Order: sequence, then C-alpha cells, then structure tokens
Amino acid sequence: MTRRRTTPTRREQPRLPLTVIGGYLGAGKTTLLNRLLAEPDGQRIAVLVNDFGEIDIDGRLLDSAADDVLRLANGCICCSMVDGFADTLETVRGFADRIDRVVVEVSGVGQPHKVAQWGHSPGFSPDGIVVLVDPLSVRDRATDRYVGETVIAQVAHADLVVVSRTDVATSSELEGTETWLNGVTDATVLRAPVPAGILVGPDARRVAPGGTPSDRGTETGSARYPEHVTISRWLGGPVSRSSIDIWTRARPAGVVRAKGLVRVDDRPDDRTVLQVCGSSTTVGVDGPWDNGDDAVVAIALPGTPRAALVKWLNLLG
Amino acid sequence: MPDTSAAGNTSPTTVFSARIIHTLDPAAPSGSAVAVRDGRFLAVGDANDLVATYDGTIDDTVADKVLLPGFVEAHSHRDTGGIWQFTYVGYEPRVDPDGRLWPGCTTFDAVVERLSEADRMLADPDEPLLAWGLDPIFWPGERLDRRQLDTVSTTRRIFVTHSNMHLATVNSALMEVEGITPDTVAEGVPKDGSGWPTGELQEFPAMALAGSAFRSFFGRQRSDEAVQMFGRAARNVGITTVTDLGTSNLLDEAIVRQWTSLADEAFPIRAAMFHGALMSAPDGDEACAAAMVDLKQQSTERIRFGNVKLLLDGSIQGGTARLRWPGYFHGGPNGIWLIAPDQYAERLAPYHRAGLQVHTHANGDEAVDVLLDGLEQVQRAYPMPDHRHTVQHCQLTTPGQYRRMQALGMCANVFANHTWFWGDQHRDITVGPDRAARMNATRTALDLGVPLSIHSDSPVSPLGSLHVAWAAVNRLTPSGRILGPDERITVAEALHAITMGAAWQLRMEDDIGSITPQKFADCAVLEADPFEVDPVELRDVPVWGTMSGGVLHPGSQQSA
Repeated sequence: MTRRRTTPTRREQPRLPLTVIGGYLGAGKTTLLNRLLAEPDGQRIAVLVNDFGEIDIDGRLLDSAADDVLRLANGCICCSMVDGFADTLETVRGFADRIDRVVVEVSGVGQPHKVAQWGHSPGFSPDGIVVLVDPLSVRDRATDRYVGETVIAQVAHADLVVVSRTDVATSSELEGTETWLNGVTDATVLRAPVPAGILVGPDARRVAPGGTPSDRGTETGSARYPEHVTISRWLGGPVSRSSIDIWTRARPAGVVRAKGLVRVDDRPDDRTVLQVCGSSTTVGVDGPWDNGDDAVVAIALPGTPRAALVKWLNLLG
Repeated sequence: MPDTSAAGNTSPTTVFSARIIHTLDPAAPSGSAVAVRDGRFLAVGDANDLVATYDGTIDDTVADKVLLPGFVEAHSHRDTGGIWQFTYVGYEPRVDPDGRLWPGCTTFDAVVERLSEADRMLADPDEPLLAWGLDPIFWPGERLDRRQLDTVSTTRRIFVTHSNMHLATVNSALMEVEGITPDTVAEGVPKDGSGWPTGELQEFPAMALAGSAFRSFFGRQRSDEAVQMFGRAARNVGITTVTDLGTSNLLDEAIVRQWTSLADEAFPIRAAMFHGALMSAPDGDEACAAAMVDLKQQSTERIRFGNVKLLLDGSIQGGTARLRWPGYFHGGPNGIWLIAPDQYAERLAPYHRAGLQVHTHANGDEAVDVLLDGLEQVQRAYPMPDHRHTVQHCQLTTPGQYRRMQALGMCANVFANHTWFWGDQHRDITVGPDRAARMNATRTALDLGVPLSIHSDSPVSPLGSLHVAWAAVNRLTPSGRILGPDERITVAEALHAITMGAAWQLRMEDDIGSITPQKFADCAVLEADPFEVDPVELRDVPVWGTMSGGVLHPGSQQSA
C-alpha cells in the first residue's frame, strides 16, 4: 500500500464538521441516528458507529455496502469503527467531496468530550458535543455504584443535552430531569424531538452569496420543524475583530446553534469559524481564506423573536 | 496426530541430547535426551537407549544445554516486534529481535545523536523519521521539544513516541507540513511562551495531528516484517507460543491470510490469536461469534483461531482501572468502563454459547466483580462445561474473587511483571502499601485452585517469560523492596505457570506446555538450569534459543 502525503489536498478541501453524540445505554442514540440517516434535512451525513446491527436501513435506500462502509441513496454514509478512530477518519476523509459532515456515535460508557478531541484531526473540525438522556432512568443511573460518575461526566461536559422519550415520560419526570440536569451541567437542555440542524449543526456553505451587506437575511423553516427559526445571512466582506467580540457576547436567548465562516480584518488571509452549540461558543481559524465563505447561519427555538436574531447577525456587518 | 503404528513408521527420528531436560511432566520429570519425530516428542530418556529403541539419529547441537518445554506467553501483542522497525531512544539499554544491543539514551544529547544517525540512514527526504521509547521521567524539569528535534533536521518530519505510547514529540518540519500552528486549539497540544505548540502531542487524538507519520507508526506494526520480528523476539527469550490478544481484526481476511502464510516451517513460534471483539464486531456479537466459529476451522498447527478478547476497564498506573472502595490511594477519580457493566453478560453470551473462549481484561477489583456476575448469569442461562474463560491481568483480584473464579471454572492470567516495573509506584501512589502488597496475588490464586498463568503484556512490559517468572518468585521492586512476600510463588510453580498453566488456559494443553510424548517438539533451550540458580537470578539465566516442531532455532544472541 502506498501512503500519500495528504497535506496539499487538505488545504483545498473544507474541513468536515464532526459532531459527537453520546449518552448512557437506553438514552435513545440508536433511534436518533436512524432518524438522522432517514431524514438528514438535506445534508449528506457520515455516521460512524461501532455496530451496524443497530442501524435500521431500508434495503431500498441502500446504495452499496463495502469495506465497512454503507452508502445510502440519499447521500449519507455509515461507517463502522472496527479499525479504530484514526483509520476510520482516514476512510471518511476519502469521502470528503461527497459528504457535508460527520456524526460519531459514542458508546454508552464512553466520554463524548474525549471523543470530540478527534474533531481536531487533519481534515475535520469539532462541531459540538450532544448527549442524550433518558428521563425515566438518568437520575437512578447517576447514583449507580458502577456507572454513576460516568453518567454525570457525560452530561457535565456536554454542550447540548437532549432529553429523550418525551412521548412516554410524564411532565413531572421531564421537569424533574431538567431541574437535575441544570444542577450538574451548564449545557443547554432541550426536549426531543430536535431538528437535524440543531443536533449536528447548520451548514453555512449553503447560504447563497448575494444581496448587500445591509440585507436583513433570509429565513427558512423545515417542514417537520416549522416553529424553529433559522436565519442566515451572507456577509459579503471582512468583519472587524471588535464586532466578533461583541457578537459572541450578545447571543440572544433561544439560539442553540450557529455557524459562521468569516474573514476577520486582522486575519485577512485566514478563514475564521464562529460556532455556537448549546452552551459553547467558539471562535477559531481552520484554514486559509477561501472566496465564497462569508456567511453565518443561526437556529433558534420556537418562539424566539426573529428581530432579535436579525439584529444579532447584523452585528457582524 | 501422526501415524505412529509400525507400518507408518517411516519418518526419521532425531534424538537430541542435552545436559538435562526438565519435562515439567510429573510422570517423567527429567531425562538427558529427547526423541523427536514428525515435529513431535516421541520419548524422553537416555540418548543411547532412545537411539536403540527408536532407530534415531543423534543430534548433539544442544548437548551442553538445559531443555524445558517452550515458554508460552499468554498475554502479548503483535506490536512487540513491529516497534523495532523504528529507532529506539529509550533510557534503558535494550536488545532488538535481531540481537543488536541499543544502548540507552541517558541524555538529551544522546537522543539527538541517535536520531541524527537515523536521519542519515534514510535516503528518501520525504520519509518521516519515526522513533520510540522516549522517557522524560528521567529528566525531571526538562522537556524535549521541537527545537531539540529541529537540530536533527529542519526538513524531514520527525515523530518520537514516549515510552507509554500515549505521547509523542514532533519537530517543526512536521508541524509545518501538518499545519500544527498557534491556531491549533486541540486538547493535548501545549504551547510555549510565544504561543507556538511545543511539539509535544498528548494522547491519541492529539498524536493523530501528526497525520501520515502517526498513521505510519501505528500502521507499520501490521506489516509482514512486524510479524516476523515478533517471532524472532520470542525465540530469543525461549518462547515458542505467543498470543496476539485482540490487537488484530480477525474479521479481515487479509490479516488471517498474513498470519497463516507467514507461519511456515521457518517461523519459530505458534500463535493463539484473539479477536478484539470490543470494537470489531461491526454486525453485532452474534454475527461475530459465527464468524469466529468458521475461522476456527482455518487454524493450523502454528496459528490458532477461535478465541475472543473483551475489555472491561483500563490500567491502574493510568488511573483508569475500576477499583472497589476505597478507590485510588492518590485520591483520583475511579477509572473508566470499556463495556457497560449492564452489558457485559449480553456481550459475553454469544461467544460463550458458540463454545468460544473469552479472555476479558480486568485490572481493577470492581471490574472483576462485574466480570464474575456476568459470567455467573451467562453460565446459569447457558451452562457450558470446561469453558476456561479467563480473567486477564487480575491485578487487584481479592481472595473472595479467586474463590468465585474457581467455583465458576475460570482461569487467571496475572500481570506478574507489574511488581518490578510499577511496584514502587503502586505502593507510593496508585493503591498504597497494603493493597500493593496484595497485588498480583499468585500465591492466593494457586492456593485456591485457580489455574494460573503469568504474563508480560508485551510490549507494555518487555517480552520474556523468565523475567515474568522471576517477578512472581521474588516480587522485588527497583527500590529494593519485596512487595508482599507472602504472595511469592516457588520457581517450580512459576515455571509451570509460563508453560502448562498458559497452555491450559489457551486450551492447548494436549499440544504444548510440557515435554511429553505426542506434544509438539517445542523447547526453551537454556544455558543454565533454572532449578539450580539462586531464585533471585532466575531472570539472568541465559537463553540459547528454542526448538519449535523439532527444529532448533538459535537466538540472534548466538550470531551477534
């Protein structure tokens, strides 16, 4: 086997956002991953799992299966991690021009925040730590002699916690779980179901260039989640460092995901990435500036005033 | 079994004479010669008698040596050999599989000099320089960083892993190629006063930033040469059967073919291959168990398939093993689970029902509780006689747990080398003096009737069964303490553990483990008698080499 030095191509290809999804056994990861693969909301997602057995793929949707990779007709792929993280990520990189993002399933006893560190691997960028919890059992698990610390560490280091099984839990179980979560984690806590764009992040590259920097942005909703508010904006030019600083501090309540690819005045040759996932906001550089980046997109919970979002995104202009 | 009837008696017989042969077979404990036919032991006795009785030809090559059954390393990994494809820069001197002595690099200058020499040997300027064994613990207050490596080369990528394999240091040329800059915000990438990464990459996600150099370091451990080097390294220390405990994905046909095709007449070892089912069961455990049952049929005289490895917890020195009350002596948090306690029985059951042997890694005593509860549950639902499921490492296993293991029909493979390599740290830091004295309780295991083997977990500690036996017999630490004198075992017990004890728990006791007629003619060939040396010198008994399937394999120390 010949090994090619991959550096020259890395610079040309955008980094693949990598989201980790964890949570203890029974928290609903499998259900959620199956739904993401079935309804990826227009994104082509690579899902990395330990065990294909739990992935429920309708035979008609399966395009091909080879070498630990299942390719679906909707553009998504599913990879098993049999050869370990480094090799699997290298396999996924081979699909970089055919997929938009990566989702990694973390085992029930794994620590999502540790696995998320693989998001810094060449060709990838970390895009959120999402942890699911089962409202019927999580508080008992948290005091279990064997797994208590594991369960608490999972939620404590999450950016976004999604409470699952909202169809069977009573409202007092849901509220009790949320109160408990607020005591052990700073993460944003949401109730399932949650749209794909919030779970795995929106795609700023889909924002079509056009209009002028003073435009108020475009609004979109999805058929399944019409109440969630998605606002995107093409920026059209460099942004000042001070605007970025203000923007990161001025996030309106209700915003749970945002992604911006911007050119900052003091780093004009670099692509600066703005990212919000639940409780976490990061600003980083992930490569050289590429004409065509220049956009920001945000997703907020139902009921969030659009005007507040527009005003927030306009801070970047 | 070869046809030994008179009519089929046409294969030649070789009679190897020796100074003394310890068969470790109580039915006939010693002799001065052994007759070999068709690669198996035919008889033990006196050379002239054997020649006369079996029409043999005498071979005096090892006439002045001491023969024991070939040693069996019941917990090792493929990487044992492959690591020697790279430049060694460790503190302690080491001997490679080809017998070359690598002096220890005891100063930073020595590390740089060793690397510069290796740099000059590489013709292709694009080939990264890969090295291993760096141990900054010996230079407190100083830290090797990219600037020292830059004095070796400013153009070639350099990737040096530390002795624990969880850290690496790289040079500026590598950082430039892989885009490791002040903008790199990954955890485990420390930066200096100027904001630049120092070159140290901590833990696997950070090491992976080194791109193809990282992948090459770990990928080349799967090469044919790596497997061959494993064979030579084992032969040099008297080992004739090794294990690859879950390092190889045996669902990959190419890996299966690699091992079976490399293990020809000239290959000096047998290997019991364990599939790492923790990560590599992509279609679920039922499907994986079925595949392993099929694969078992592809076993050869040298390569055995059909075993499975699972893991429950991490390591004690890494603070990741799961401990019962009162937890770590250093007060750190309890360790991690690699399989959820709730799921262990469910994961074990498909392999157990298929009649496969499962060896489960459990260092901490809490992990052993989960293992025993899980096996008990599975045994109740699907009783399986003589399953010989084995607890690997057993470092903090208590007497009560050993009693349960015995009752459940389990075996113990104890990490005896720990008392030497980490004993002082366990006493002073990880578990404290009381539990350190009770660790790796080989005496207790034997007294309670648990079938016992002891191991090196090579390359975690260096491959060498006599060293492992020495550690269990003496329980010495580098600071000169005897760690738990009451858990010491005798030389005879330790030698049994590294031969028959290991053979039993690999389910190979009818083929290997003692010098007994009908078994494979596998021997450790020694320059001194381990029963006669002072037990504290057991690890210093010189090894000449081995016999494998009746063929003598002198160690590379013979030609060095």
